[in-house]
Amino acid sequence: MTLKRLSLKKILLCACITTSFSALASEHTVTTKYGNIQVNDNVSRVVVLSEDALDSAIALGVKPLGAVATRGGDSVAEYIQERANGVKIVGTSRQNNLEAIAAQRPDLILASASLSQDKYNILSKIAPTVVPISPGMVSDGWITLARVYANALNKSAEMDTILNNIAEREENLKAAITTHVPEGKRTAALARWMPQGPIVMSSQIFASDVLASTGFVINDAGVIKEGRPHSSPLSLENLSKVDSDWLFLATLNSEGKDALNAAKSSPSFSRLNVVKENKVITVNGQLWTSAAGPLAAHAILDDIEAVINTKMK
Amino acid sequence: MIPNRLFMPNATQETVPPNGYKLLTLGHKVRILIEKKAVVRNIWLVLILLLSCVMTLGIGTMMISPKEVIAVVFGHGSPMSQFIVQDLRLPRLLAAVFTGAAFSLAGCLMQTMARNRLATPGIIGIDNAAMAFAVSSVVGMGLSIAPSAMALAGAATATALAFGLAGGSGTRGYRFIVAGIGIGAIAGAVTQLLLSQVSIDVANSAYPWTVGSLSARDPFMVHILGAGVAVCLVACLVFASQFALLPFSDQVITGLGANIKYIRIIALVLCITLTGLAVSVAGPVGLVALVGPEIARVLARYRGIPLVSSALTGALVMVIADLVGRTILSPIELPVGIVTAVVGGPYLIWILIKRSSRSSL
Amino acid sequence: MLKWFSVTPAQRPLPSVLMSALFVLTFCCVLSLLLGAGGLAPHASLLTLLGHGSADAEFTVFHLRLTRTLVGLFVGLTLGIAGALMQAVARNPLAEPGLLGVSAGSSFAVAMALVLGASTATLTVGIAQIGALIGCLCVIGTAKMQGQRNDPIRLVLAGAALSSLLLAMTSLILLFDQRAADEIRFWVTGSVAGRDTSTLISVLPSMLLALICILYTAKPLASLALGERVAIGLGHKPRRIRGIVIIAVALLVGAATAIAGPVAFIGLVVPFAARALVGPDIRRTLWLCLPLGPIIVITADIISRLVAQPAEMPLGVLTAIVGAPVLLFIVRSHRLPTL
Repeated sequence: MTLKRLSLKKILLCACITTSFSALASEHTVTTKYGNIQVNDNVSRVVVLSEDALDSAIALGVKPLGAVATRGGDSVAEYIQERANGVKIVGTSRQNNLEAIAAQRPDLILASASLSQDKYNILSKIAPTVVPISPGMVSDGWITLARVYANALNKSAEMDTILNNIAEREENLKAAITTHVPEGKRTAALARWMPQGPIVMSSQIFASDVLASTGFVINDAGVIKEGRPHSSPLSLENLSKVDSDWLFLATLNSEGKDALNAAKSSPSFSRLNVVKENKVITVNGQLWTSAAGPLAAHAILDDIEAVINTKMK
Repeated sequence: MIPNRLFMPNATQETVPPNGYKLLTLGHKVRILIEKKAVVRNIWLVLILLLSCVMTLGIGTMMISPKEVIAVVFGHGSPMSQFIVQDLRLPRLLAAVFTGAAFSLAGCLMQTMARNRLATPGIIGIDNAAMAFAVSSVVGMGLSIAPSAMALAGAATATALAFGLAGGSGTRGYRFIVAGIGIGAIAGAVTQLLLSQVSIDVANSAYPWTVGSLSARDPFMVHILGAGVAVCLVACLVFASQFALLPFSDQVITGLGANIKYIRIIALVLCITLTGLAVSVAGPVGLVALVGPEIARVLARYRGIPLVSSALTGALVMVIADLVGRTILSPIELPVGIVTAVVGGPYLIWILIKRSSRSSL
Repeated sequence: MLKWFSVTPAQRPLPSVLMSALFVLTFCCVLSLLLGAGGLAPHASLLTLLGHGSADAEFTVFHLRLTRTLVGLFVGLTLGIAGALMQAVARNPLAEPGLLGVSAGSSFAVAMALVLGASTATLTVGIAQIGALIGCLCVIGTAKMQGQRNDPIRLVLAGAALSSLLLAMTSLILLFDQRAADEIRFWVTGSVAGRDTSTLISVLPSMLLALICILYTAKPLASLALGERVAIGLGHKPRRIRGIVIIAVALLVGAATAIAGPVAFIGLVVPFAARALVGPDIRRTLWLCLPLGPIIVITADIISRLVAQPAEMPLGVLTAIVGAPVLLFIVRSHRLPTL
């Protein structure tokens, strides 16, 4: 009951916290999952609570004060570590620490699309909290998210340039791939290996999007049904369905070789044509199955470029 | 042991309370027998609880001095510490106090009923079913109902199923317990299935519901739980003299003229209500139900059933466990369920190994 | 055949019951080779079995399905016997490795190993067996404390408390390592798919050890079933027998868990079915548990392949859904039988 009585005071108080750093500045509107919110045009203290938001913010030149640790580690993902040097960890992807977030005194919080209402209610008292409307499992969903975060940071134009650059680079790589790899030899699957069978990634997750835009034809073995989760374990008997011209094998270990060896020790895996032709490429699972955003796109394109240089020429 | 005749529910003649007790009569029917020592003990517990609450409000990523905490509670203090205390720590503290009290009180009732110190409400599958329902909501198969509401629905479903399958409470409620174990096992398997079907990120967001956590709980459910705990605590006091019969054999209870079935059903309903509400706030934090009553029994030196003390010790354990979870690995928070498991675990093993010459309770 | 139903289970001739069970088992194995989640139809599989299949079909039938059938056979065998032994030694029809925390002990040990750098693909059997042994020792501790006075519930309560403790500890260590968390969420559902026959060979030594333990204790165990005093009167040492049996159970459950992950309720269902068929004598039920365990595991595995094509339903989930009703049925039967 005491809580209720104080609510008016709290609203005033929060207004104090959030505006104290940037009084007199103009604001713009951001559409979020929990309604339209007003965000200051010149935010400087940003906390990001998802890997996509971290990626987008850093790509736009905004270094957040706090971020959540990537899964499988106690700091941010490897590919972005250098640029996110000095960013304070305010929780994990499982549970973020509200006090640590508040302690940063942010003026903007960029959260993931799956943030729950209860968490939002509290976070929005600390600072305007941007929870994008989940685009769902669709192609190029990550671009939608990146644009929302860019809009929140009032840097939409910069994001357009960045996205155009990525599209341009994708086109260049696509041209390279089409010259080196004949038509009909460009199917690719993205999977993780588990002893009881592979886990096939949907053709609609971020990494698949990037792969597809460089000219690969994504084969998700037809196991990911509409609206289903982004990955699905496959029976070993159906392994031949992921047999493509290229297989990107994601691992959460730092050493992809172990995963490849573990997979190769399984006779059903080593029977695949793609394995026999040595066209299995181990990739970092943190980057390929967990991250999303412009910098991650560039990192994945780096990987693809390496493949073109080593395996296609 | 306390003389049994005092607990005869339908005693008509003027009863004289034994030494160290006071009889409280409300109206004609309701009599509450109060042990004076227990009152003193509980006042101490309340004081300790209050002290640890003030500490909890002050300690965290941002330290706030006890003086400032008290200032904030009375409406003063800096805006930042007001926000931290009032919006972040106080709701969490309330959730901890209420869930701890609820789990522990429910545990005490369950252990009395089953005549076993190891019985917890979780044993009848409530925890697991609530977990399965909440997880299904988080992973997107719950018809977009909030996880806490789904957890409550799960607890209710498990109870209804266990009742239906056991065909009433049966002798000593054993069937009920075993039916609950079966339901709990199925619910556990379903949870594993759900978690293995979704991406790791979604599995991560369901994680707090699988271990029990107090971070950012639904404030509405916390208020309901608070009301529930208050009502159940009063009910426990009213029925305390009946519950005191539960440790005896069925023949003795019936011989004393009490309706054993009736007593058991009341205890069970209270137990289930408390657990269901607590689980829907915090998820499964099972071991509090084991540790809270145990401490209360040690404090009470095994005299009678320490219902109020159990609620207080449970709240205390939960508050301290959450404080530890928030601070020990800062900035990363440990869910409270894990802290209670790690603290309660060795205690449980100690109970298991210790050869007890006392009665099973 | 019909004559069976007119006599009490204890009077049924063991050899004929055993023969029929073996017949059913053979049938299940053949079925297991014929059915699968893949595109290979049953009649095509049959042709392959007869030697007229393509290379792919041969691989599917003789490699994938044969291996998992063998693994299912092994897991069913070990879990069934472990359940029967555990129930006999605890004199409790509800004593089941899963319910008593033995599987949770194994899971804990496996999680620990994963965090320390192992991978589910290269898991060693020893780790799971040590975990199972720890679980068993805790159960013994409970049994000692509780005195086992014809009260089946107490042991189960202790087991459940122990399981919840071990599961929480498992969550704790997984909190710090998400790679392990990611791997173990597939492991805990249990499965016999994709296992290598070489893992079966690697558990052989410990299985031999378990076999010796069982052979050594079979007779004393039967007398123990008649009561502690009877056993002592016949010159056996109940304490030692229990210890040996517990070690055998730990070896068996640990091996099965290491290979297939925690598969719940097999240890409960199998002895229950065996008692229903041939009566409570441990020397008779133990024999019957040999074919019954594999029958149940292989049947469950076949179902698990068929219900969620092209993926598979985890075996452990299926056995829990099948096994829990059996538990309820035991409870609903007029009174809890003591062994």
